[in-house]
Amino acid sequence: MEYALSVKDLRVSFYTRRGVFKALNGVNLELRRGEVLGVAGESGSGKSTTGLAIMGLLPRNAKVSSGSVLFDGRDLLAPLTSIRKFSTGRNESAIRKLHRELAPIRGKRISMVFQEPMTSLNPVLQVGYQIAETLVIHNPSLLASRKLARVRATREDTTALLKVIKENEGSETAVREFVESRHLKGLEEQALFIWRRNDINELRKERLILDLCCEKVGSTTKRLLESLEGGMGITKAPVLSRLLRRVLFKEGYRKAVEFLSTLGVPNPEKVVQMYPHELSGGMRQRIVIAIALINNPDVVIMDEPTSAVDVTVQAQILELVKDLKRRVNSSFIFISHDLSVLGEVSDRIAIMYGGRVVEVGPKEIVLKAPRHPYTTMLINAIPTLDGREIRGIEGEAPDMRNPPPGCIFNNRCPFAMDKCRKEEPPSYKVSEDHYVACFLQGGK
Amino acid sequence: METQKTEYEADRFREIKTSLSVFFSNKGAVVGLVIVLVYVVDALLVQFFPQALGLKHPYTLVSNYVNPVPQPPSASYPFGTTFPGVDLFTSILKAVRVDLGYSLFVVLLGAFIGTVLGVISAFAGGIVDEFVMRITDIFFSIPYLVLALAIGFVLGRTLDNMALALAIVWWPIYARYARGQALSIKEMTFVEAARASGSGGGKIMFRHILPNVLPPIFVQISLDLGTVVLVFSVLAFIGFIPNANVPELGYLASLGLNYVATAPWTVLFPGAAITLFALAVNLVGDGLRDVLDPRRRS
Amino acid sequence: MLIAARNLTKFFELRGGLTGKGAVQAVSDVDVEVREGEIVGVVGESGSGKSTLGRLLLGLIAPTSGEVLFDIPEELLQKYDEARSANDKKTMEEIASKYSITRKSGRELRALRRRMNMMFQDPYSSLNPRWRVEDIIMEPMVSTGYLTGNEARKRVRELLEEVGLPREFAYRYPHELSGGQRQRVALARSISTLPSFLVLDEPTSALDVSAQAQILQLLKRIRERFRIGLLLITHNIAVVSYMSDRIYVMYAGKVVEGGPKTSIISKPQHPYTVALISAVPGNSRGPRVILRGEPPNLVDPPKGCHFHPRCPMVMDNCGWTAKEVAEELEFLLRGRYYGMLKEGSKVVPQGELEILVEGAKAEEVRKVIEEEKEEVKSLRSIYEVREGNGGALVKLMRYDIPGMYRTDEGREVSCLIYRKT
Repeated sequence: MEYALSVKDLRVSFYTRRGVFKALNGVNLELRRGEVLGVAGESGSGKSTTGLAIMGLLPRNAKVSSGSVLFDGRDLLAPLTSIRKFSTGRNESAIRKLHRELAPIRGKRISMVFQEPMTSLNPVLQVGYQIAETLVIHNPSLLASRKLARVRATREDTTALLKVIKENEGSETAVREFVESRHLKGLEEQALFIWRRNDINELRKERLILDLCCEKVGSTTKRLLESLEGGMGITKAPVLSRLLRRVLFKEGYRKAVEFLSTLGVPNPEKVVQMYPHELSGGMRQRIVIAIALINNPDVVIMDEPTSAVDVTVQAQILELVKDLKRRVNSSFIFISHDLSVLGEVSDRIAIMYGGRVVEVGPKEIVLKAPRHPYTTMLINAIPTLDGREIRGIEGEAPDMRNPPPGCIFNNRCPFAMDKCRKEEPPSYKVSEDHYVACFLQGGK
Repeated sequence: METQKTEYEADRFREIKTSLSVFFSNKGAVVGLVIVLVYVVDALLVQFFPQALGLKHPYTLVSNYVNPVPQPPSASYPFGTTFPGVDLFTSILKAVRVDLGYSLFVVLLGAFIGTVLGVISAFAGGIVDEFVMRITDIFFSIPYLVLALAIGFVLGRTLDNMALALAIVWWPIYARYARGQALSIKEMTFVEAARASGSGGGKIMFRHILPNVLPPIFVQISLDLGTVVLVFSVLAFIGFIPNANVPELGYLASLGLNYVATAPWTVLFPGAAITLFALAVNLVGDGLRDVLDPRRRS
Repeated sequence: MLIAARNLTKFFELRGGLTGKGAVQAVSDVDVEVREGEIVGVVGESGSGKSTLGRLLLGLIAPTSGEVLFDIPEELLQKYDEARSANDKKTMEEIASKYSITRKSGRELRALRRRMNMMFQDPYSSLNPRWRVEDIIMEPMVSTGYLTGNEARKRVRELLEEVGLPREFAYRYPHELSGGQRQRVALARSISTLPSFLVLDEPTSALDVSAQAQILQLLKRIRERFRIGLLLITHNIAVVSYMSDRIYVMYAGKVVEGGPKTSIISKPQHPYTVALISAVPGNSRGPRVILRGEPPNLVDPPKGCHFHPRCPMVMDNCGWTAKEVAEELEFLLRGRYYGMLKEGSKVVPQGELEILVEGAKAEEVRKVIEEEKEEVKSLRSIYEVREGNGGALVKLMRYDIPGMYRTDEGREVSCLIYRKT
């Protein structure tokens, strides 16, 4: 099976003054295409570090001692794993190199949604600008062709387009074929967006679609847009690049409005003009999700996207994620400390403890019939609405600067055997798709 | 129980060790500390064992009117002499004690008044806060040197009075600083927890807020020590403090002023002694700040 | 009755800004009760006023109005309630002056601190980082004069064992402890004077589930052992459902529903409670109700029932005002009924209950309202459309303010649906 992304035996440690903090101790994860993989764990389990490592967003004191993050046939962390002995200087230059290499991937093919939407948005820029920015950086040719399509189209084109839409009741393929036959690529998504709106009446929709034509631009701008559409990057010439960027950002705002509306943001025309502090928490989180998704990435990592919002807003966001899963082609890694949240959105769930994946499998099996003692105890510790008795897990999480030998859970595990204190358990396959890193499962 | 206790004392010792290692990883701070220690040792020796340095008159300048013209550095006068025939090296050794002493007095008194007023005004809020802060505003609106001169003039132009005058202009900085710190600490839940536990205002102010305000104040104190030495010497240099024969760095520098073109060392060495101290103290302050900032500890 | 709040209200004045002064209506007109040894849960989202309520009950902040009656005999409380419904100010004043902690002087209040305490959410900032655990736990005992010196020190050791920590922790500093251990220390501090009433403000929301479970179990045990009345404030309905005997649900500064835990969880009555419980992830009972929008700004909360703009079961008299209805009407007329509103015309609210649709005919507007009433609920409040000066004049029904309505088995709901006519 081909994976959207796979993490192999990843080991990451942080060098601090108080010792070497072993955050990840051999993490193995496979993200399948189109699935939502839930990653659960308590604080210090390494779930967030895993997400950051995939994005290459590691601090300068992080050392990747082994392992790889395979995406699209290449190891994203190669510059870091090549360092054998840790030193801050060497590590820093390796991380700079990593950032350079990942720049074209981040935000376009892999993107991330963080927990606190207020800090991941820039407070002094309009949210529309911030959405447009990711488009201008990663996908300027799309913006150029959208704009050019409206310039090239004649009233006759849009009239015909409207007819095609009406006859085929908004079928995407028909519209796409029509647009391609007339060399108006970029017009289809704009027209279809208008057609699918339900806050305006037919009359207004028709008027708006007919108006997708006959736009005028200066001849210089047009030439710039055409070269951009032809695959050239944004020009570096001083005045021209300003001119081009202004046009692109304006187009980016248009696309942002369309995209926000599909994310269920009411009145998107007004929202794109607002600044982050003017929006409520839930709305801000939608904006962050929009920024992460607008370039149609292959992988989206969501790190506790609902932990900073209220229950009713959390329900809205979860509904949105479920809806996105159906609609877009991306694969999601959904990181959360809340197993019941993961139960809502995930296809498979991975449970992390002490920098390892201790159990991974289909959602129903992991939640209903867990096999690792930690998973069982974790589930028993969660209070539920029916008020059943809960049990805490005795003891404290291990000190990751000096983790116990053998299975990392052995000091809290009621079933710990001698073997557990000496050897690290491998991952046993207990049933189709269900893997558990525990010696109790090994005999079979 | 006692063995357990010592075990945790050991834990605490490790904590101090990390602090020290943070401080010592800052090379500038270590250099600064060494220089400051030299000054302090010098001051203490002059105060308590002047014989050790071979000083016969540790608290006054010894003039030589037989040969008052400044002599260049030589084997018998390592830093040369200044008008009127004063040996610069031994004079600087003596002067360090005076400058350090007055600077310490000014900063500590200023910090004490300022911190107490700052914490009270933050805790009391309302009119008290408004009153204290407006007073500090008045102090800030007048250049502190001018203000110190004015107060010194009223009190009488002696070294002691000048130190008092400087302490009077120095406290508002600490009041502002302490108030800012105290306001942020006042918002911490442990203050509310103390109130819920029935603790009164005084206890909350001095047992909860003050101890948490102090560490950054200490950093500020260490930084200010240098500044005050500088200000003090400036006042002495411009002749505001008539202090015949008291060894003071600014006064020492001013002695050779008439000869500065032909005998630059007369100004250079006392000046360097002042600058070096101010620099060293700042370096130490930076190191202390590193220790206190948890983000720089990792 | 251990503690009973009556008409408790707290408005936080805003310091004048560019937009002029105002007040955050954090808690408005709230009645709650906690009996001896009872665990009462208060659930609500952020900004619902639940934390403010906890602080008001302890007298940590002074209410704008209302009373907190502490340790009041049942019959006197009953007398107070009767006097309140009869609007007998004199009797109310008489009882309040004796039992209300809002009337107590600073010194009297400090003496009461021995009998009530609080445990806070953030285990990192609720313990003074420069104090040792021993001094932290001793503070309430020393401050209230409950125990001092060696006796207090001895008691600290007992308390540490009570909360499941080794005695040697007395010598540690907070930063040497994990989050769960700090919360145990905080709990030991709050029960050190054997209080009869304890407010727990989100005691576990900063903790991992495994530590949360330990703390919750510990709290239950402590309640059994010392018969402490607990007010548990949290946003986590599952935690409340596990812990409490009774529940209050708060929304936008008001208690919208209160009653025994089991019946509220299994049969919520207020539409907000219904949505809140259905929004709990992993909950499979009943269809999920996804609320639109977010809790309101409490400087200018919605009129009538604070929940009405988000309410899926909203009625015509729930609090619609001209401003809200005009906004929705204009949105419709500019979108789905494009063309009806002339270029440059506006939908103008006039006063609280009248709207002028400029340049439109009453007939047309009436038709729009009829067609959209099902979906756009605010339009239900319109009872008349007639030709007005320069357009169609839309008139709204006057709204009602919901009171607390008794439903069954000790339950109260603040929703007009349950008003008995």
